[in-house]
Amino acid sequence: MNNISMQTIYLLIPLLPLIAAAIVGISGKVLPRSLAHVLTILGVGGAFGLSVLVFLDVMKGHIFNGTVYTWMTTGDYTFEVGFLVDQLTAMMMLVVTFVSLMVHIYTIGYMHDDPGYRRFFSYISLFTFSMLMLVMSNNFMQLFFGWEAVGLVSYLLIGFWFTRPTAIYANLKAFLVNRVGDFGFLLGIGMVLFFFGSLDYATVFQRAPELADIWVSVVPGTQWSVITMICILLFIGAMGKSAQVPLHVWLPDSMEGPTPISALIHAATMVTAGIFMVARMSPLFEISTTALSTVLVIGSITALFMGFLGIIQNDIKRVVAYSTLSQLGYMTVALGVSAYSVAIFHLMTHAFFKALLFLGAGSVIMGMHHDQDIRNMGGLRKYMKITWITSLIGSLALIGTPFLSGFYSKDSIIEAAKMSHIPGSGFAYFAVLAGVFVTAFYSFRMYFLVFHGKERWMEKKHDHHHAHDDHDHHHGLAPNEVPHEQSWVVTLPLVLLAIPSLAIGYFAIEPMLFGHFFDGVIFVNESVHPVMHELKEDFHGAQAMALHSLTSLPFILALSGVVLSWFFYMKRPDIPAYIKSKCSLIMYVLENKYGFDSFNEKIFAGGSRFIGSKLWKIGDVQLIDGLLVNGTANLIGRIAQRVRRLQSGLIYHYAFAMIIGVFLLLSLFLLLSLFMKV
Amino acid sequence: MNGIQTDVIAALPEIFVLSMAMFILLVDLFIKPANRIAIFMLAQLTLLGAAFITMTTHVASVTYSFSGMFVDDPMSDVLKLMIYLTTAIVLVYTRTYISLRGMFRGEFYALVLFAVAGMMIMVSGQHFLTLYMGLELLSLCLYALVAMDRDNARAAEAAMKYFVLGALASGMLLYGMSMLYGATGSLNISEVGSSLLNGVQNRPVLILGLVFIVAGLAFKLGAVPFQMWVPDVYEGSPTAVTLFIGSVTKLAAFALVIRLLAQGLFVLAIDWQGMLIIMAVLSIVIGNITAIAQTSLKRMFAYSTISHVGFLLYGIMSASVNGFASAMFYIVSYVLMTLAGFGMILLLSRKGFEADQLDDLKGLNQRNPWYAFLMLITMFSMAGVPPTLGFYAKFAVLQAALQAGMIWLVVFAVLMAVIGAFYYLRIVKIMYFDEPKDKSVIKTTTEMHWVLSLNALALLALGLMPQSLMNLCAYAITLSLS
Amino acid sequence: MIFQDYVFYALAAILLIAGLRVITARNPVHAALYLVLAFFTAAGIWLLLEAEFLAIALVLVYVGAVMVLFLFVVMMLDINLDKLREGFWSYLPLAGTVGALMAAEMVMILGTKYFGLAVFAPPAPHAADYSNTAELGLHLYTDYLLPFELAAVVLLVAIVAAIALTMRDRKDSKFIDPAAQVRVKRADRVRIVSMPAEVEVSEKDEKAAS
Repeated sequence: MNNISMQTIYLLIPLLPLIAAAIVGISGKVLPRSLAHVLTILGVGGAFGLSVLVFLDVMKGHIFNGTVYTWMTTGDYTFEVGFLVDQLTAMMMLVVTFVSLMVHIYTIGYMHDDPGYRRFFSYISLFTFSMLMLVMSNNFMQLFFGWEAVGLVSYLLIGFWFTRPTAIYANLKAFLVNRVGDFGFLLGIGMVLFFFGSLDYATVFQRAPELADIWVSVVPGTQWSVITMICILLFIGAMGKSAQVPLHVWLPDSMEGPTPISALIHAATMVTAGIFMVARMSPLFEISTTALSTVLVIGSITALFMGFLGIIQNDIKRVVAYSTLSQLGYMTVALGVSAYSVAIFHLMTHAFFKALLFLGAGSVIMGMHHDQDIRNMGGLRKYMKITWITSLIGSLALIGTPFLSGFYSKDSIIEAAKMSHIPGSGFAYFAVLAGVFVTAFYSFRMYFLVFHGKERWMEKKHDHHHAHDDHDHHHGLAPNEVPHEQSWVVTLPLVLLAIPSLAIGYFAIEPMLFGHFFDGVIFVNESVHPVMHELKEDFHGAQAMALHSLTSLPFILALSGVVLSWFFYMKRPDIPAYIKSKCSLIMYVLENKYGFDSFNEKIFAGGSRFIGSKLWKIGDVQLIDGLLVNGTANLIGRIAQRVRRLQSGLIYHYAFAMIIGVFLLLSLFLLLSLFMKV
Repeated sequence: MNGIQTDVIAALPEIFVLSMAMFILLVDLFIKPANRIAIFMLAQLTLLGAAFITMTTHVASVTYSFSGMFVDDPMSDVLKLMIYLTTAIVLVYTRTYISLRGMFRGEFYALVLFAVAGMMIMVSGQHFLTLYMGLELLSLCLYALVAMDRDNARAAEAAMKYFVLGALASGMLLYGMSMLYGATGSLNISEVGSSLLNGVQNRPVLILGLVFIVAGLAFKLGAVPFQMWVPDVYEGSPTAVTLFIGSVTKLAAFALVIRLLAQGLFVLAIDWQGMLIIMAVLSIVIGNITAIAQTSLKRMFAYSTISHVGFLLYGIMSASVNGFASAMFYIVSYVLMTLAGFGMILLLSRKGFEADQLDDLKGLNQRNPWYAFLMLITMFSMAGVPPTLGFYAKFAVLQAALQAGMIWLVVFAVLMAVIGAFYYLRIVKIMYFDEPKDKSVIKTTTEMHWVLSLNALALLALGLMPQSLMNLCAYAITLSLS
Repeated sequence: MIFQDYVFYALAAILLIAGLRVITARNPVHAALYLVLAFFTAAGIWLLLEAEFLAIALVLVYVGAVMVLFLFVVMMLDINLDKLREGFWSYLPLAGTVGALMAAEMVMILGTKYFGLAVFAPPAPHAADYSNTAELGLHLYTDYLLPFELAAVVLLVAIVAAIALTMRDRKDSKFIDPAAQVRVKRADRVRIVSMPAEVEVSEKDEKAAS
């Protein structure tokens, strides 16, 4: 294929979903419902097909890096829309479009009765476009654009059911938390622009080694490495988007959005943007071991502690959400130990099995008529066969069962953490190991509670139903109703996602981690960070790896996690309750999610509200209203009484402020000029 | 004879606008109230005609006339065109509003046109006296316009405050000018500039004058600590007049700043930079944080104006051609955003009802998704979310400040912009997620619908393609400040 | 010191005292009269500076027209100055301090070397037949044509604004257009309706009516 036609294809890939989103979004209710999903599925399906083409093309060694459109030129800087299509991009495109396509199909079933049907399709196509722009960009500017765009669509989708106050709250929370991350990210990009004079990846990466030894004095008396600062700032952005501690608080709440969105955005694609970004920036991060250590420690904390929280959740989606947090922590750990390709590998396998788990959870929720509490479920395997099998596959992949996709990626991360020697790697190794047990425990706790055991919805639904009969009629099953499998639009994506969850690890591990797939894309300074090199020496094929692992520590931990959860929740359900009552302090800490939420609520939200209202009170209310009564205040009675005094009084005060301003400026600058003369 | 001809040609747009203003006053005497629409058309024609004259007499060089008191340079031409355009938009937005409130009279349009003429003089003034006369012409019209709705006690109060404080600020400006005259021996801006270039002898006198001049300018712009009038006047005035004060006049204020600080007192940049830094930082802090606690939309816009002025000052205090061009870009963007924002208040207002509270925007999306979308773009632009115009404007001024080496000030501004985003996005939240308080159908005129739509969409389109506008500003500034 | 200096100091002293009394006089009429005195002495100082036209204009325009009008207004409105001056003493310490400091700063700058005779040499006195008025006219209509015209526009705007803000149709006017009276038809005035004998008055209407 020649250059021109490939470039057209690159353009078409993001544009097809955009056009579909625009048509569906703008035409509104004019469009028949069926056309809304046909159009968007065609758009995303087309993008997927073309992504396959591009992937094959890239595999032949055809890499593209060029400008498509010049946005603006200011002075020395140019801002362009450009594409960088290499192995990393091609793989991400494939994952994004595939999962998105599955979610589109699934949505037909899930959102079937929702009044916002068209709007939803429009949003998810728009999201696909934004995410593609993010992964395909060849410069920081466009990266930031895609970054903000996916964020924006994500807020729209979290608040999709905008009549629910919890959804609005979650929405606002996600927005605010991400602003913190974006602030760091923007500062990082600003520093890149300032020190490199360019926002183009290629230029920046090429010049990165030159800046390795440049130090700036930000706070007088201290010297900070420029590269370290840039990397940490960029990583703060990644922490926001990829929900790393302490910026993770928005992700569990974002489960307020419809389930297909949780699958698409909050598990498979958007949250991995931070991981992708760090991998993309590997030439920068490789220079700074300090930055890598930071990444590593943050990732380890997330991986372990977020897993614990999964244990006590009762909402089916929240369990999966916390497991997402924990798995994102794993990926971050891999980044921290310079095993970028492992992180990306885990990103890919995770995208498949986590989307599968979410869609499976969604299928269960539909079967239970929008009851999400796993305590009300049980024994569903008899009624929802396909969901049961696929969810089991997903869970097995998640906990790292040998030969399944999750095993290869997760085990590689554990090995990499073990071999690393940068500061923090000891803790990281412990965290990822312990995480294996925790993951296995909560995944199978959920699995057993939902699909096995007593059919608790039988006994539950009567009182539940009566209590909420009037206002909440479609939450929970009606009497004499049993959970049932949904139509093929729901089950087909489950099956299609189960296939890569099963097998992709086995086939992809060798080329992706130890072959030449990421050559020239991901840069690792092997003399300083030899982890990948050591991993490669220990690797003797996918089959050998799986067989070998059967005797290794992670497998034993995972197995014991599963067994323990079976024992606790199937055999002796009284034990968890007993533990719960005995360890009230731990439960308190876990139930409050380590206090992050209340801390934020009190300190940040409360603080800014406090400052805002104080300033308003002092500036406006006390100075103007309080002393003189503001003529614009609503207290008409008081105005009438004091109207005479207020008019002159107000102006006196305003005028006095002006004169004070002049006086202070005058004194200050006269003094300065005197000093300057001396 | 030749001299007079050049003079007249240079000032032809001003002469035309003034003549038309008087003509409108006369026509208004003889026209029946039912046919008053003709006045509106005449005013629009005046602006169109002035734009035509300005374009045809445009040359890419600087021409002095009236004994060097008046200048016709690219910056003045570009700013004048902007003034015509934005005033025309203001007139479209306000027509229904003022006719429902008994202000649809010839005097309104005449005063607006006189104010436009005043701004044109400010833009083209090259002499302290001309600038001052232009400023007074503008201010006088504004005082009268604020008080135009005579039965509105709040408007009368706002007019009073504006008048007294404005007079004080004018006095300060005048005093500063007299100090400069004492120090340099000239009132002509070019002569003041060249005399300072030959060496600064009596620096304390210059600083005394400079402080007073900066104070007068800061009042016009609404920068802290000279901002006290802004919220009260914004809220008290009829929204139609608030729109005019909040948008178009800032273009003239910007020109005044450029003429005085960048052209006349560039040698003293080291001093006025310091003053502007203090005012910019204070404006951004007080504007952004106080805006969060507002429940009145007009008051919130007032505080948002203060913070925007802070950003504008970032461009000016960079004291470079790039900085001035960015500041010009910023002020043009700001005016467009303000027009769209206030346009929405005017659109939602009805007879006897002012949509000037945040609550009035509740559930706008359910009432009319298109207008909610337009407001969304406007709010994003004000907050500086890419890819809107507001983002690029903020970016440009901050970049200029960065080039001037003010890294920490820039970091601070970015931080405050993030805080500021909160209250703009709160409006988006209110529009999209709250239940409407009043579910009446929004009625408007066709031309308002289209102009408002174009206005808001321009924020998006110019944000995607800011290059042309940026080039225009750079062209105007570079050629005028050679 | 020559005679002119004595005159200047005398006038300046009167001007300062008069200015002070304008803001301290308890009676508004007295305050206005002190302002007239201040204008007169200022005109005298201008005469000393050979600015006859300005001196005469000041007396004619300000004293003759503006102040007389102002005096009328003050006398007719019965302004209670005590009310206006409420809080004067409580604000005085702060305002006085700031004012004094500012004055000190200005004196520091203005009273020093920058404005002495060494910097600005006194202009040579003009001959007796020199016409200040003609010179002013010459400048006004040539060099200062633009500001002069603009001043005219400002005055026009002042008139327009004043009329726009004050003139209104009287609401209690009994004026009736005779032509309209002649053209009137029965149908315009009388409408025959059939009404029920009893009308239920809701509570809300009752309130509105009262």
